[in-house]
Amino acid sequence: MYGWIWRHLPGNAGVKALISLALIVAVVYVLFQYVFPWAEPLLPFNDVTVDNQ
Amino acid sequence: MNVAATTDGTAEQTDTASPGRPAPRRRGGRIALAVSVFGELLITGGLVLGLFVVYSLWWTNVLADRKADQQGDKVRDTWAQEQDKGPGALDTGDGIGFLHVPAMKNGEVLVEKGTTSKILNDGVAGYYTDPVKATLPTSGKNGNFSLAAHRDGHGAKFHNIDKLKKGDAIVFETKDKWYVYKVYAALPETSKYNVKTLAAVPKESGKKKAGKYITLTTCTPVYTSRYRYVVWGELVRVDPVDSRRTPPKELD
Repeated sequence: MYGWIWRHLPGNAGVKALISLALIVAVVYVLFQYVFPWAEPLLPFNDVTVDNQ
Repeated sequence: MNVAATTDGTAEQTDTASPGRPAPRRRGGRIALAVSVFGELLITGGLVLGLFVVYSLWWTNVLADRKADQQGDKVRDTWAQEQDKGPGALDTGDGIGFLHVPAMKNGEVLVEKGTTSKILNDGVAGYYTDPVKATLPTSGKNGNFSLAAHRDGHGAKFHNIDKLKKGDAIVFETKDKWYVYKVYAALPETSKYNVKTLAAVPKESGKKKAGKYITLTTCTPVYTSRYRYVVWGELVRVDPVDSRRTPPKELD
């Protein structure tokens, strides 16, 4: 999977490394900005109140 | 898919990704590929979970502290402006005051109305409106000033709630009063359905008569929300705020 991506990136090793880094940053951004905030309330780690529900 | 070309490159990774399987050599390219993709997916899943831990325990704190500072500044600004104009309306913004708990070593915690996660995620403590409505100390009535805040992540304002001992001070600061409470009881573990802890007279704390109480709730054990941790305090003194906002001696 990662090997396949690596081979399909354009340019020499340096360029590939740079593009890979950009891709990783983009993925982490999407995770932190959208995926984790969505997932967190669904997981039972952060309920602090007492209630009837 | 370019199977023939990938076999050599990925077969080596297979060894480290799934040591339990016999490493296929050269031939059997399809199986090698499938195993290597599976292994990479597992590694990716592990990394994502690790990132989620970083997110919950660090990044949400960064965001929440930033937000809480902004809102806290806004409240202090509003107070300062009202001071200039002379006696005026009560608190108009979202924040009604600040909680100071020296034993928790977490500075001041802004207090806002409500305990939904949207409010608490901003790194503040919220007073209950549901299922039992909190009695604000500013009302001057007997009752229970019940609050909730996060134990971990989102500012983790009540992280050190277990450090609170009998006799420790909990000070609530409003525009013109310091409400000094003393901790008198704690419940290190209770069910999340135990709404009696928020009652005007919290019987589980040993009190029978009406009085001015404060209740802090958060989740326990740390990093989970299986149970709730509850700390009770009772009002011992109300000090007026002077022009320099000198804190009461409990906060020195």
